[in-house]
Amino acid sequence: MKKVVALFISLVFVFSLFLMGCSSDKNASKDNGKSSAKKVTITIGSWRTEDKAGYAKIINEFEAKNPGIHVEFKPSQNTEYDTILNTQLKGGSGPDIIQLRPYAPGMALAKAGYLEPLDGIKGLDQFPKLMLAAATGEDGKVYGVPLSVNSAQIFYNKDIFDKYKIKEPKTYDELIDIAKKLKKNGVTPFAFGTKDAWLLTMSHAIIGPAFYGSDFPEKVKSGQAKFTDPEFVESLKAMKDLTPYFPKNYTGLGEVDDRTLFATGQAAMYVEGSFDIEPVRQLNPDIKLGFFNMPSAKGGEPTITTWVDSSYGINAKSAHKEEAKKFIEFLTTKEFGKLFADTFNRISAVPGVGTKDPLVTALAEASEKYATPYFILTDFNDGNPTTKTVLTNDLQAMYLGKMTPEEVAKDVQKSADTWFKPAQ
Amino acid sequence: MNSTTNMNTKSIKRKGGWKRYLIHLFPLPALAVYLLFIVYPLFSAFVYSLFDWDGLTRGAFIGIKNFIDLFTLEPFNHMFWNAFGHNWIYFVVEMVVQNGLAFLLAYIIYSKIKGTGFFKAAIFMPRLLSVIVVGFLWKLILNPNFGVLNKFLNLIGLEQWAKPWLGDTHTALISIILINCWFGIGFAMLIFLAGLQSIPSEVLEAARLEGAKGLKLISKIILPMMKQSITIITVFTFTQAFEAFELVYAMQGSEGGPAYSTDTLAVYFYRLAFGSANESEIGLGSALAVVLFIIIAGLSALFLRLMRRNDVEA
Repeated sequence: MKKVVALFISLVFVFSLFLMGCSSDKNASKDNGKSSAKKVTITIGSWRTEDKAGYAKIINEFEAKNPGIHVEFKPSQNTEYDTILNTQLKGGSGPDIIQLRPYAPGMALAKAGYLEPLDGIKGLDQFPKLMLAAATGEDGKVYGVPLSVNSAQIFYNKDIFDKYKIKEPKTYDELIDIAKKLKKNGVTPFAFGTKDAWLLTMSHAIIGPAFYGSDFPEKVKSGQAKFTDPEFVESLKAMKDLTPYFPKNYTGLGEVDDRTLFATGQAAMYVEGSFDIEPVRQLNPDIKLGFFNMPSAKGGEPTITTWVDSSYGINAKSAHKEEAKKFIEFLTTKEFGKLFADTFNRISAVPGVGTKDPLVTALAEASEKYATPYFILTDFNDGNPTTKTVLTNDLQAMYLGKMTPEEVAKDVQKSADTWFKPAQ
Repeated sequence: MNSTTNMNTKSIKRKGGWKRYLIHLFPLPALAVYLLFIVYPLFSAFVYSLFDWDGLTRGAFIGIKNFIDLFTLEPFNHMFWNAFGHNWIYFVVEMVVQNGLAFLLAYIIYSKIKGTGFFKAAIFMPRLLSVIVVGFLWKLILNPNFGVLNKFLNLIGLEQWAKPWLGDTHTALISIILINCWFGIGFAMLIFLAGLQSIPSEVLEAARLEGAKGLKLISKIILPMMKQSITIITVFTFTQAFEAFELVYAMQGSEGGPAYSTDTLAVYFYRLAFGSANESEIGLGSALAVVLFIIIAGLSALFLRLMRRNDVEA
C-alpha cells in the first residue's frame, strides 16, 4: 500500500513539473484568444509607467470601435526598459506593439529583424519626413508611428517666483542671480539630483546651448567643430558650477526625488522634459507651472530643446499582426492625436492636432521659434558604448568629482572618433 | 533467510534480470529537466561565446576572440576588473559581518538563553522576504532627504552622518553588502546552530572538565568540530558573492551606479548581453558568462578540496 501511495505521489510531482515547464506567459495570451471565442489580446510594451491610467482611457476608445480586440498596456521601469525588452525579444517573445526609442537604438531593433516594416499603413504619409526619420531604418523603411514631440526646458513654480518677485531670466547671468536670491531665502533653486545619469545628458542638452549656441550641432555633424572645442567644454563647466544651487545630498537623488521636491514646492526650478508635466501635476494638482526658454550666456537667441520622443512599432514575431496593425493605424488618426494630447498634456506627433492646455500650447509655440535639437540623442547615439552613453556616465563622474569638464570633453570626442564620419 | 535471498537473486538473474534495469528509468525525468535547463544553456553560452555578434544577429565563428576582446578592449577590460574587485569585497565583508555575526548569534542561542524560539524566528525573518522587496524597501529607508535613516540621524544630532548612502561612490557598495548581510544572516545562523547542536555533549563535558572555557573552548573544540558547517557556509557565501545580482539590480539598476561603484560581474554580464539594442554584445556577454562559470566552479572546487585535505576526522 505504502509503495503505491509513494509511486502515485512521485508521479504527481513529475507530472506537475512537466506542466509547469510547458505553460508560460508566452502562451497565455494565445490561450486567452482561443478560450474567449472571438477576443484577441495584444500587449503594448513601453517605458511610461507614469501613463498607465491615461492609456486605459485611450484603449477604451479603441476597444469600443474594435470589439474583437483587447489591448493591454504593460510598461516597465524606464531605466530598465531596454534590457527587459531585449531579453524578451532574444527569447522569441516580447509585446505585440513595442514602444521604440528614437533614432539609433530603436532602429537597431529593426536591423536585427525584430520589427515589422510598416509599408502600407494608412496615415503614415501625413507625418513630415523629418519626424519619420526617428523611426526609419537603414533600409529606408519606416518601422514606427511617431508618438510625440518632446521639448525640454526649465520649468518653475509660479507661486515661488511671485513670492520673491522674480521675473523670467533673459540672460544666463540673470538665471544665476535668481538662483542666488532663492538660496538666500532658504528655497532650493534647482530640483536637480545626479543619481539618474540619463537626466544629466538631457539637462546638458537644455543648458548647454546657452554656451555652445544653436548652430553647434550642425557644425559638429559637418565636421567643422569638435566636442573638445572651448564652447562645449564651457557648457560642461557651467553644469558643474551650478552645484551650489542643487538640493542637499544631490548625488543620492534620482528623478522621482527631483519631481517630489519640485511638486511639493521645496524647490523652485525643474530642468525636465515636457513629458513630466502630467506626473508633476498628479503629485500636486494645484501647482502653477511656468517655463522659460534657456537664456543665452553669449547674447544669442534663447533656446528650447526638442526631439521626436518615441514611436510605436510591431513585433515581427507577434502572433496577432493584423490586430496590431489595426491599433497602429489608430495611432495615425487625429482622434488618437487629440486623445493623447488631452490625456497626457503633451504635443502629439499627428499633424494638425492642437491641445487644450495653455502651457503645452506655449511650449509648442516656443518650439517653433527657438528649437535646438537634442543632438547627442538624435545624431550621436552610435558606437559601442554609444557616445551618448559615454557622455552620460562621464557627466555623472564629473558631478562625483572623478572627472574634470576637460576630461569629459576629451572622452566624448574619443568615443565619437571611433565611429563618426562627418557628412561631407 | 540467507538461502531464500540467494535463491531470489539467483532467480532474477536467471530470468535475464530485465527488472533490474527498471530502476534506471526513474532518474530519467529529473535528468531530462537537468539537461534541458542547466546543461543546454551552459553549452549554448559556450557556443555563443565563440561567435561574432553584430548587435542581436549572429555572425561568423571567431574562436576565442571574444575572450581576448573582453580583456583587451576598453571599457570592457576595465569594467571586468572593477566588478571582479567588488565581488571580492562582497565575499570578504559577508564572511566577516554576516557569517561572523551569525556564528555569534548561533552560539548565544545555543547557550540556551530564554526565548530561543522567538529569536530564531526573528533573526530568520528577513530571509523570508523577496530580494526585490528588500532592495526596494531599503532604497526608501536610505533616501537621503526623505528616508527614515537620515531623518533619524538628524533627529539625534548626527547630521554629518546623514549621507547620500546610495549616491556616494564610497558608501554605495558597502551599504548594499550590509543589507545583503542583514538579509542572509538568518540562514547562516541556522546552519551554524545545527552544526553546534551536532557536537556530541560528551566531548564538551570532557573539555569543560579539563578546564577549557569561553574563547579557548570555542577555538580549540567547537570550531574544529563545526568544520562541515563552516565549509558549507563559506562555499555558499562565495557563490552568493560572485553571483550577486538581485540586490544591486533592485537598488542601483543595471548600470551598477553611481559611476559603476556597485557593479558586480553578474550585473555587468546582464548589461553587456542585454543592454539597449545597439549596445548589446552577446558575444562578449557569453564570454563573460563562461569566465564567471570558470571562476565560481573552479574556486569552489579548489576550496572544497583544501577543506577535505585538512579534515581531522573521517
